[in-house]
Amino acid sequence: MRATTAGTAARIVALLTVLGIAVFPLYWIFVSALTRPNKLFSDSLQVLPDLSQLGSFGTALASGEVSRWLLNSFLISVGTMGLSIVLAVPLAYALSRFSFRGKVLVGLVLLLTQMLPEALLVVPLFATFHDLSLLNSRFGLILADSAFVMPICALILKGAMDAIPMEIEEAARVDGCRPLTILTRINLPLIVPSLSAAAVIAFFHAWNEYVFAVTFVFDVDKRPASVGLAGYIGELGTPMSTVMAVAFMFTLPAVVFYLFAQKYVVSGMTAGAVKG
Amino acid sequence: MTVLGKRGRSGSQAPQRVRSRTNEPRRRGRSARRSRWIPYLFLALPVAYLAVFQIVPLLQELRLSFTRTSLLNPGNNTWVGLDNFLAIVADPEFIRTLTTTLIYVVVCVVGAIGIGMGTALLLNADFRGRGVARALVTVPWAAPGVAVALIATWMTNAQYGIINRALEAVGLGVPNGQILASSTFALPAVLITTVWQLFPFPTIVLLAALQSVPKESTEAAMIDGAGRWWTFRAATWPVIKPTVALLAVLMAIWSIRRFELIWLMTKGGPLGSTRTIVIDLYSRAFESNDLGMAAAIGMVGVVISLLLVTGSLLLNRRAEKEDTL
Repeated sequence: MRATTAGTAARIVALLTVLGIAVFPLYWIFVSALTRPNKLFSDSLQVLPDLSQLGSFGTALASGEVSRWLLNSFLISVGTMGLSIVLAVPLAYALSRFSFRGKVLVGLVLLLTQMLPEALLVVPLFATFHDLSLLNSRFGLILADSAFVMPICALILKGAMDAIPMEIEEAARVDGCRPLTILTRINLPLIVPSLSAAAVIAFFHAWNEYVFAVTFVFDVDKRPASVGLAGYIGELGTPMSTVMAVAFMFTLPAVVFYLFAQKYVVSGMTAGAVKG
Repeated sequence: MTVLGKRGRSGSQAPQRVRSRTNEPRRRGRSARRSRWIPYLFLALPVAYLAVFQIVPLLQELRLSFTRTSLLNPGNNTWVGLDNFLAIVADPEFIRTLTTTLIYVVVCVVGAIGIGMGTALLLNADFRGRGVARALVTVPWAAPGVAVALIATWMTNAQYGIINRALEAVGLGVPNGQILASSTFALPAVLITTVWQLFPFPTIVLLAALQSVPKESTEAAMIDGAGRWWTFRAATWPVIKPTVALLAVLMAIWSIRRFELIWLMTKGGPLGSTRTIVIDLYSRAFESNDLGMAAAIGMVGVVISLLLVTGSLLLNRRAEKEDTL
């Protein structure tokens, strides 16, 4: 009995340690944003946020530049989400419900795209984008980002559609529904959780994306927040509390959304990976 | 194209319905013929899109790897056959890049899965606040790479970083507080940061897998007097083994491709101590302007990933066969 209590205590301590390590860096961004700049660079260490410094978030946003970055990130992410889902749904449906020539090839291509580093395709895509006048444009970034996340969305949605019994669809077909109607009226409403998981993944893929954004966009006012924030690393002109305030505002939406959607996101990703 | 297809279909809609009531076999033949081109209708746009933005660029990059091409004048490229690849193989620096990549991938896979497994086992119990704990664990995975690189840089700041202060407080301070600027400590720091960001994924996936371990079998093992370890080996491991294998492949592929975290923390330095394949390819393309070499290195990375996946698929198939025998 005593051994069990000791075991339980050890488990609790271990779990709290892991949780502490998991959350601490985010907490530290928050604390650093809410510390007087002169205190950040002093020998005394402030471990609690100084709530009188909440103004640093306002200061960061008031510069105009930062709110512009966040808005750009938002627009690019919404666009990527929309484009990825619109393309992934028919692809997933075809893979899940039809047998056709070249199906194995399509599956292999989807698998292959999971192995391609963005940094590898930056050069050829730069040339393509140059020819199509897509450089220095947020729309161009949407096209590039979606190409990398759409296959993941398709695998997730295919996994979800595979789980829908064929009988439902056959019943609809007997009633005279056309394939597109079956897809939009019957399949999609049944996989709303996976659809939202795919949407969250696509949105934050673009939100977090850095390589294409830093290479394809030159105008400061078209930059997304990932590039703006990365510009602070090693730069000394901006007050650290402002930098951390921006980092916090950039990180928080991603964390909150994943907390909300993690169950579907993870099951979707593994289902896609297992079956894809 | 889609519009035409639609019109064609709606035009044939009415007669088909009539026929379907009167002539069953004929309807079936018709729908079979229809379903032959319907999938391509769904496929056309997404596949064309992937071709333009993934496959064609990959082939262009493959071609580039056989040429000498400068970023400053990309139109002017000369075919050099296998020269780039031969130069890579002969370059001791590239062997070092490969070793660093190998260390990076192995530590990421083993570290993330190991810690993830431990955390999943801790979370796989009934206690109050389990949902909250599960949610908090996912924070690192959700954090954007750029923000992670930024906070890691700040936390390891030579003079005011909290990690240096903590290390000094326990008497383990590194010389001059140089972590990311030291060729000894930069790679461990990058590894710890990556494992930190990665481990929630295996945690959540393994937690789901653990829930499919039948309670009876762990209880039976416990009653038989098996210790915790043997219970795990005998009852839990066989169930979660395929999941672990899958996780290992996924994380290896992701780690081979990972760029921004390493690039923003160290740019592959100091003295190339954190230079993985992808970092090498990027700096050769954009710092040495050598697109041909960069492409060749990238191809090596892709081939390694391909071999990994193919190998694991083959192993998986063999394991499945053995299971059914």
